[in-house]
Amino acid sequence: MATGILNGKGRIWLIVALVALCLVPFALPRFYVYLLSIILLYGLFAMSNNFPLGFGGIYQLHHAVFYGVGAYGTALVITKSGLSPWLAFLVGPLVAAALSLVMGLICIRLSKLYFGMLQISLGSLVWAVVYRWYSFTGGDDGIHGISVPDIISSYQGAYYFTLVVTAVSLFILYRILKSPYGSTLQGIRDNPVRSAMIGVNVKRHQLLALIIAGFFAGVAGTLFVVVDNTVFPDMMFWTLSMEAVIMCLLGGWLTFLGPMLGAALIVLIRTFVSTYTVYWALVLGIIFMLVIFFLPNGVLGWIETLFKGKTKLVEAKE
Amino acid sequence: MKSFDGFKAVNNANLDVQKGEIIAVIGPNGAGKTTLFNLISGILKPDSGQVLFKGEDITGLSPHEVCRKRISRSFQVVNVFNRLTIFENTQISILSRERHTWNLFTPSSTLAVDETNELLKNVGLYEKKDSVSGSLSHGDRKVLEIAMALGGNPEFLILDEPTAGMSPEETTRCINLIQGLREKFGLTILFCEHDMEIVFGIASRIMVMVRGATIVQGTCEEVRCNEAVQDAYLGGSDVCLM
Amino acid sequence: MDAIGILNQIFVGLSRTVILFIVSSGLSLILGVLRIPNVAHGSLYMIGAFMAFTFSKLFGGGDLGFWMALIGAPCAVALISLAAERGIFQYLYEREHLMLILLTFAFSLVFGDLVKIVWGGEYKSVPVPYMFQGFVPLFGGLPFPLYNVFLLVCGPIIAILLWLLVNKTKIGKIARAAAVDREMVGAVGINVSWVFAIVFVIGCLLAGLGGVLVAPTVSVTLGMDHTLIIEAFLIVIMGGLGNIWGALLGALIFGLSQSMGILIWPQFGIIFPYLAVVVVLIFRPTGLLKSTW
Repeated sequence: MATGILNGKGRIWLIVALVALCLVPFALPRFYVYLLSIILLYGLFAMSNNFPLGFGGIYQLHHAVFYGVGAYGTALVITKSGLSPWLAFLVGPLVAAALSLVMGLICIRLSKLYFGMLQISLGSLVWAVVYRWYSFTGGDDGIHGISVPDIISSYQGAYYFTLVVTAVSLFILYRILKSPYGSTLQGIRDNPVRSAMIGVNVKRHQLLALIIAGFFAGVAGTLFVVVDNTVFPDMMFWTLSMEAVIMCLLGGWLTFLGPMLGAALIVLIRTFVSTYTVYWALVLGIIFMLVIFFLPNGVLGWIETLFKGKTKLVEAKE
Repeated sequence: MKSFDGFKAVNNANLDVQKGEIIAVIGPNGAGKTTLFNLISGILKPDSGQVLFKGEDITGLSPHEVCRKRISRSFQVVNVFNRLTIFENTQISILSRERHTWNLFTPSSTLAVDETNELLKNVGLYEKKDSVSGSLSHGDRKVLEIAMALGGNPEFLILDEPTAGMSPEETTRCINLIQGLREKFGLTILFCEHDMEIVFGIASRIMVMVRGATIVQGTCEEVRCNEAVQDAYLGGSDVCLM
Repeated sequence: MDAIGILNQIFVGLSRTVILFIVSSGLSLILGVLRIPNVAHGSLYMIGAFMAFTFSKLFGGGDLGFWMALIGAPCAVALISLAAERGIFQYLYEREHLMLILLTFAFSLVFGDLVKIVWGGEYKSVPVPYMFQGFVPLFGGLPFPLYNVFLLVCGPIIAILLWLLVNKTKIGKIARAAAVDREMVGAVGINVSWVFAIVFVIGCLLAGLGGVLVAPTVSVTLGMDHTLIIEAFLIVIMGGLGNIWGALLGALIFGLSQSMGILIWPQFGIIFPYLAVVVVLIFRPTGLLKSTW
């Protein structure tokens, strides 16, 4: 099944990876620690996007809205209210989840591409408001120099905070996918008519998926505030949403850790390529095309089929 | 006693189903059999007319609500969860019946395992339970359809062309399964088929539909020798069907 | 805010509508017939604008330069799109929409950087041709740019030409049939592949044309693709997928709500079009007019 790689032997590698990640700040210079923090939070962002996309079959095409709103929520509470930053870290994701609920209620009546397009419309509306509301959100300048608690304000502190939060979030997402709700969601992805006929209220279950996805996108946004101490409107621009979907696709949208891998690949490629040329978008674009052509199930999906060998899937046509 | 009276724009269909019987709906292609099934199971809403189940009006309920009334259905075109295994497909059906679908925290692997295995054994799919359903033979997938419908522990089972596309062996297995279901579990079964041998073989009563309307409802004998049926199927010959 | 001011804003909005309509109709055509949500459409618009700059400079920057650009740039864009379609897109028509969206997004990244490579990062300007310089006194004496009048004339002409193309020509009829059932069209012996190629090229040509027409009125910069593509998509969704008149209607609503919005509430004027789209989609999720799918 989709989470195959995490069973049995996979668990050992996972623990090894976690330990390695804990040791990173002692081994690598500051820039790489920062990069890893970014990879982890983008990975969480992509994984939260894949929850409705890959596991729910929902065309979640403008996920960046929730990421951005989560970040702005946290940032605004820290900078505008006197409340504790730790409270702000909670507010961000909750606001993102609330927005998911509202947008979800509006969009859920539609399916497939229409859902995605309405979400893009609503999301663009939110972006436009944030972009123009200079007095409150800082407009197109964004907000800079956001202060975070001392424990996590250093680059190592921010990294560990990100690592812990991401790991916990992924664990929760994993548990949810393995639960009856998770199975139901995947059933809805594969066949909503059949799901309804066995007693599942499809729209309601999809709505919950959207709220969960929005919440964890908000968490990722909050992590960005901790790591980078800034927010800006581009965080909720549609291009970032497209990138998130590509991260899911690149890594493998039917696998659990695929999006994390996709995020890592994209961040690394971009960073690496930028040292050679300013035209990293060109390179990234070509790589995306190659992936779409040759690895439609993503890198991890491809690896999984290598291991599984004989099982050939009958791809159900739309 | 259950009575149905479904009327849709161009339809005028009546169907009475007694508890515990196997009743078949037959008719030429396009007669509206699948539409009728869709109306009963809530996928379509009738423009007028009623669907009564055990005395309760269930007209216009959405499919998942109909399922909760313990009416289940299989589809003519196989509608299963292609990327999941047979076990998972069936398990989800049972989990839904047991109202676990909102459970976010308990691993599925610990819930409803025995019931799922039991059900799979009853339909003969237990050996293949870990195969991905998208990779199975057509016949197996159609049996999985039925298994999923059974997961809801229905009182009333609607089967839309259950043996369509099956090989002769698969068909025999399926027919035995259907008859067994009625004997073992007391299910009331409504089905439609094109193979008259099957229909006359297992149905206790038959309803004939032509162009969206019911032209006769009765026992096999009554239908066989009914003139209107002969007109519809045979173009007015005097010979009794079969 | 007086009647003259409002009227002026309306005309400004209408000028913008023309550009939006031209680009969106191309997008709608591609989406309706080929079922490809072409995210690269904005890039082609941008390329059209930059090409206009090049053509204009090539031919002396005056009137000749403009007219040569008007002819040459869309053709150049058409050639580029033909290459892309024959080279890559034609192999992927059977894929899911999600894949196609991402593929065209990848293209937009590539095109974006190609523009950077060829023309550099600074903004360019294309001069308004002499014959269209100056103003026309509108109602109440408010000066209205002559070039915008030219745009307002172009708009309906192009709309009518498109309508003729789609409804009255053989290729148009075939394209409309292919939009609904591509297999049937292939089964009756028509080379669907070439039909798709033609429709795709026409759609992209329209994007390029929009870029050329807008060039004298704005600074031609990188990033024009990103803002425009969202607007074009929203217009197409609002109007009905594949529906040319829908694109016109959508463009009208979008352009006018933007210009009126800025008049009413300058700071947040730009959210009015998005609000309009949301309202329309809530009540008519598949668009105002009939879509081809």
